[in-house]
Amino acid sequence: MTETLNIFKDWVQDQSRKGSDFVLSKDFRQRSLSEVRTENFPTRKNEEWRYTPLSSVFDRQPSFAAEAEVNPADVEQLTAAFADAHHLVFIDGHFNRTLSDEISVLARDGIAINLLEDLEPGSQDEVERVIKNAKLTDDNIFRHITQGLARTGLFIELQKNIEITKPLHLLFLGTQSGKTTLSNPINVVHLNPNSRLKIIQQFASVTATKALTIPADYFQIDEGAALEIYKLGLESDETDHLSNTYAQLADAGSLNHHQYLFGSRFTRTNTEINFAGSGSEVVLRGIYLGDKSQHLDIRTYVDHAQPNCMSDQHFRGIMNDHSRGVFNGLVLVREHAQKTNAQQSNKNLLLSRDARVDTKPQLEIHADDVKCAHGATIGELDENALFYLQSRGISKQDAALMLTRAFATEITQEVKLDSLREYIQAEIEARLMEAQNFHV
Amino acid sequence: MLSIKNLNVSAEGKTILNGLNLEVNKGEIHAIMGPNGSGKSTLAHVLSGRSGYQVESGSASYNGLDLLDMLPEIRAREGIFLAFQYPIEIPGVNNTSFLKKALNEIRKHRGEEELDAIDFLQLIKKQMQLVEMKEDLLRRPVNQGFSGGEKKRNEILQMAVLDPKLAILDETDSGLDIDALRIVAGGVNKLRSKDNAFVVITHYQRLLDYIVPDFVHVLSDGKIIKSGTKELALELEDRGYDWLTNEPETVA
Ligand SMILES: Nc1ncnc2c1ncn2[C@@H]1O[C@H](COP(=O)(O)OP(=O)(O)OP(=O)(O)O)[C@@H](O)[C@H]1O
Ligand SMILES: [Mg+2]
Repeated sequence: MTETLNIFKDWVQDQSRKGSDFVLSKDFRQRSLSEVRTENFPTRKNEEWRYTPLSSVFDRQPSFAAEAEVNPADVEQLTAAFADAHHLVFIDGHFNRTLSDEISVLARDGIAINLLEDLEPGSQDEVERVIKNAKLTDDNIFRHITQGLARTGLFIELQKNIEITKPLHLLFLGTQSGKTTLSNPINVVHLNPNSRLKIIQQFASVTATKALTIPADYFQIDEGAALEIYKLGLESDETDHLSNTYAQLADAGSLNHHQYLFGSRFTRTNTEINFAGSGSEVVLRGIYLGDKSQHLDIRTYVDHAQPNCMSDQHFRGIMNDHSRGVFNGLVLVREHAQKTNAQQSNKNLLLSRDARVDTKPQLEIHADDVKCAHGATIGELDENALFYLQSRGISKQDAALMLTRAFATEITQEVKLDSLREYIQAEIEARLMEAQNFHV
Repeated sequence: MLSIKNLNVSAEGKTILNGLNLEVNKGEIHAIMGPNGSGKSTLAHVLSGRSGYQVESGSASYNGLDLLDMLPEIRAREGIFLAFQYPIEIPGVNNTSFLKKALNEIRKHRGEEELDAIDFLQLIKKQMQLVEMKEDLLRRPVNQGFSGGEKKRNEILQMAVLDPKLAILDETDSGLDIDALRIVAGGVNKLRSKDNAFVVITHYQRLLDYIVPDFVHVLSDGKIIKSGTKELALELEDRGYDWLTNEPETVA
């Protein structure tokens, strides 16, 4: 285990020496790379990794893929679902200009959408400033790998009072089945005061793709600005996915962050929220759906550092077969963060005797005038509800499917984009139908 | 239609039904009364196929089929309907689409064509008038947040839509105000025909003023200890159950 991880570390350093097409400044990368050198990979002795062994992830040595030919049909199939969005397509860690909408058309007064690889050397300051501002409490080694070896990504900046009404659809598609491809995009979003943006961030792969996906997201949300973002984890079961998402909100900012994690052999998402102003609202939603021997680990860390903010988390797990889910969420309410309203709920449905969930919702409260609640449940389908449906002529299997679908709907109904909501619900349906307990 | 012979049922090692006999023919309405905990709901559950009960001996045949050997959904498709004493709330499952699915499963089983959304809506609108149910309840999740009376009306609505051959009503009258009681009873009376049958479990003679039974049975300690006509219900109202449980057993 330590062996393979060390080999991987050496590989990272080696790549950095050999490669030339990196998109962040040399100084900045060097700092990240030295973090990679000195930091250890987390082990299960680390409380934040207690239920998630990394051993399975780095059993294959990744490599960068060259820009590959891709079947346009594979992409169109994915972009067609969100016909009402702008599409930016990344394939195997490379931005694909042919399959993407023209960036210059999107950019208009007050909106800057830059590929990191298009930034002039020396003009990366603004991006790096946002990234540096992010202080993560965990999973740092992965963001530093991402940063040290960053070869593509986006820097999106909206000026004051600007709104992009059409969502941006960021598609990260893996296509390589030979070697394990490293894909490590960075997405930096800066919303200036009172601007608004919607993003669909989709990670997908064509069948049998082998990949290691390590993205990092940094969101800076200024006064009164609002970001709505939906992350779809739909990669192949030969893919490992470890992501970091950091959001900082100024006064009266708003973040709606959804995660729909259905794919990958291994998934770990770390989402950290920092309230830097008062009167802000953060809504975190997510469904993790496991089948076979998938491992899905959701970590959230919400830092109520300022008074008068609201955070509302609701995550649901649906675990089939031998899959394992982990929910590990911490809400920290600091001493002067009075009038905090923090809710956290995690509910899990085990559909198989061999499936398992470990859940650890945590509240750490140092202020006295707050409204906080948290709770977690792990259960099976309700026997009474199953029987009720059966007693009306519905087969047990169909009844189980209906109840499972309903369990998910309580989250998906909050997706505000119609085509996206339908897409997610259809995806859940298709995956459930494939699972062995719903096979006819 | 339904023939129960010497049925013995236990749950968690405890005997609940203890040598129960009952014959129901089509066109008949049977009322079952009896003290709390005597096994009325258990009988209803066993007939509709709920798990968790052990049939120790005896038989129940339904239109020549071995009822106890059938899956609950097959029983439903064959025309058995249970109106639950405590209807279940099912968050996230829409009341209308649930009922449409149920009806179409039953229609498929009967070799009939499935109803499309428009035809179904027509049917359900018609049957809703029967139980005077508010339309917004159709758009809500099954029974979720329904008042006690609304849940019971929803049961009768389902019955009206699914058009069963044998309907078992488990205390559908409990918790209903007098108007609702009249409406629910009116629904049953409209559905009543020479081809179907009802088993009405109740504690109150009052219901039987509206749904007039052909037979009244008293279930006590897991068996039927007395059967009679609707006058028996009046007598029970007057005298309670004591005089029966102290009397020597009479067989139906
Ligand atoms: N699954 C079960 N496990 C154990 N005991 C059970 C079970 N189901 C019912 N019982 C018991 O069997 C007895 C009969 O219960 P049942 O619900 O059939 O009574 P009932 O006649 O419907 O009563 P009520 O008039 O109060 O509705 C009760 O003592 C009850 O506790
Ligand atoms: Mg009862």
